[in-house]
Amino acid sequence: MTFSVIKQRRIWWSISFAIILGGLISMAISWQQLGAPLRPSLDFVGGTRLQLERDCSVATNCAAPINLNAVREAVDGQGLTNNSIQIVGKEGLSIRTKTLDVDQRTKLQTALTQKIGSFDPKKTQIDTVGPTVGKQLLSSGLLALLVSFAGIVVYLSFRFQSDYAVIAIIALFHDVLITLGIFSVLGLVLGIEVDSLFVVAILTITGFSVTDTVVIYDRIREILHLHPDLPIQQIVDDAVNQTLTRSINTTITVLLTLVSLFLFGGETLRNFSLALIIGFTMGAYSSIFIASTLLCWWREQRQSRSVDAAV
Amino acid sequence: MQRQRPLLALIIVLLIAAITVITTIPIPLGLDLQGGSQLTIQVKPTPEVPQITERELEAVKKVVEGRVNGLGVSEALVQTVGKDQILVQLPGVSDPQAAERVLGGTAQLEFKTQKPNTEAQLFALQSSRSEQRAKQDELRKGGDQAEIAKNQAALQNNNAAIAELFERTNPPLTGRYLKDANAEPPQAGPSWSVGIKFDQQGGDLFADLTKKIAGTGRGIGIFLDSELISSPSVAAQYATTGIAGGQAQISGNFTLQTANDLSVQLRGGSLPVPVSIGEIRTVGATLGKDSIQRSIYAGVGGIVLVLIFMVGYYRLPGAIADVALLIYAILTYATFALFGVTLTLPGIAGFILSIGMAVDSNVLIFERTREELRSGKTLYRSVEAGFQRAWSSIVDSHVTTLIACAALFWLGAGLVRGFAYTLALGLFVNLFTAIVCSRTLLLLALQFPSFRKPQLFCPNLPTITKSQTEAQL
Repeated sequence: MTFSVIKQRRIWWSISFAIILGGLISMAISWQQLGAPLRPSLDFVGGTRLQLERDCSVATNCAAPINLNAVREAVDGQGLTNNSIQIVGKEGLSIRTKTLDVDQRTKLQTALTQKIGSFDPKKTQIDTVGPTVGKQLLSSGLLALLVSFAGIVVYLSFRFQSDYAVIAIIALFHDVLITLGIFSVLGLVLGIEVDSLFVVAILTITGFSVTDTVVIYDRIREILHLHPDLPIQQIVDDAVNQTLTRSINTTITVLLTLVSLFLFGGETLRNFSLALIIGFTMGAYSSIFIASTLLCWWREQRQSRSVDAAV
Repeated sequence: MQRQRPLLALIIVLLIAAITVITTIPIPLGLDLQGGSQLTIQVKPTPEVPQITERELEAVKKVVEGRVNGLGVSEALVQTVGKDQILVQLPGVSDPQAAERVLGGTAQLEFKTQKPNTEAQLFALQSSRSEQRAKQDELRKGGDQAEIAKNQAALQNNNAAIAELFERTNPPLTGRYLKDANAEPPQAGPSWSVGIKFDQQGGDLFADLTKKIAGTGRGIGIFLDSELISSPSVAAQYATTGIAGGQAQISGNFTLQTANDLSVQLRGGSLPVPVSIGEIRTVGATLGKDSIQRSIYAGVGGIVLVLIFMVGYYRLPGAIADVALLIYAILTYATFALFGVTLTLPGIAGFILSIGMAVDSNVLIFERTREELRSGKTLYRSVEAGFQRAWSSIVDSHVTTLIACAALFWLGAGLVRGFAYTLALGLFVNLFTAIVCSRTLLLLALQFPSFRKPQLFCPNLPTITKSQTEAQL
């Protein structure tokens, strides 16, 4: 079973281009509607989120189901506008507002307790993020991304050649852009937010995606060394074919753990593992179909140019 | 066999050591798993203090520590983060109201004078205060919350009573007049002292204050956030002029350590930098327990799926990779304990993820082995070649992931750093288990004739090569 990635490279390029374009359009729409390319969570824009659960061990506390209107009244009564209020499960409540200081928050909690009953402090989760912290997170995240890109370029130029390195980074951009695009769509359609763990996910995708590309490059280099006179198209095709099972199997094992995390890991880790699932799948895809074909194309160009020069 | 024996011994020794480490050193859980509050305090520069340096941050941290101690939370942790942040962790606190109220705001340092005829009272209160403090330290180790709260209340009453014995000067001599404070080495004798320095106006106020109480036996009360931190008396020789010139020396039974502590407290109190709470994360204890439960399910689920896949696809080598994977999990967990990693939810995610990545090296090796078998090499040679020729790919892929980890670590706020740290430690352990462990175990298995069948390594091997291989063996 051998197949040629080189022959259909225009198809692969168009597919990737289409997905990336879709993502960019979604980000543009999102930018207009939400003021950011992806739906930002508390971590980036600041605010307070209260996640409360009623204490059902107190008699008659949970007799009536939570009345959303009563909750809304209590929140509005504090003079807070632009809130999002959600009932989570049967007894849970999630309220997101602008950043509240300790007095405002205590007042809100008291008002809520009066309206719908007391809460279990052991099941409470409170997050308050000041507006500056979010900006810091974003800028240091982008900086870390650039630093790791630079580190990878330097290492690959040293181990391989600089054109390998540049193309690996293009493949990386491809994976990151697609993941961002899909999350932008998810943010618009399902209201999924990106938080600080999403930044972590993107950086992890960076590391993993290059790993896949490196394995194929390693094989290309090896074949080049053994058979220097083979045409580059065949070398790349052979390298991809010889490493194909490995690429697929490695991705499968990682996806197995990620699916497990996605299913059982709970709320916090769900979007994190989803981002990694998308990114890693794209990483495997881009290593096989994008990084290899681009390298081949580049070497063809260079060859024909050097032939021209010789003429 | 001869070559494998020392390595096998090494693996067994490491395993025993790892299990011992796991059973003796407990891994501390992060606040997101055990429940508690984490507050990030932002220190802001002002026109007077345009830049927050390490020295200033340290001084502010001291002030924050003092306030946190006043909360009476056991195992509270205060540390500096980055250039201008202080992280406060309060385990078990599900409503950080009290903490929020005391932690924000600029430090209040004030020099007051002792009221007349209160010497005996002050002495009694101070000695009972030091008893209560000692008791509090003792109680915090035990962790009995009710007792701690009770003693804390007593301590607070005591502090308030002490404050009653002092009166404010007019105008008040506050920390903003204090320019600097430093521990000074002993001039004569063994004791260190603390030198303080006021600005022009502060120097005048201080001279007035000292003139009033010099030689009376009463003391200056130095209060930080309403708590008396030092009460030096003033010698009679200053009765006419007071301590003029804006400089003074507090001497007493200071060691280097205590002199340093006091001077850092004074510096912290003199800083006009406002602190504000930038971030609060509170997780209820029950929610934390749920998270632990869930991550155990996810971890076990992930491991089992990977184990099944490896053995299903790679047969005998797969089974050996599975053994190596279990060794990996144990060794990595032991490494966490050894390196003092605090386990957080993202940290666990990193660990689980690394289990999926850990078999990557084995997949590379076994695919190589199969290729060599298909090209007609003997089993033993194929296995050796598989390990040798996969080596460079393995190193390259580890290094690139480590680069991303390093960037993550450097970016480093709490959650993110935990993830990068666990992932990176996992990668190092993986180099050992995937290569040394699985190779040793595989070569060991090849000692047994019943395992020496190429079909166990590569199903559907073309028959010609198979018979060749067997003939060569």
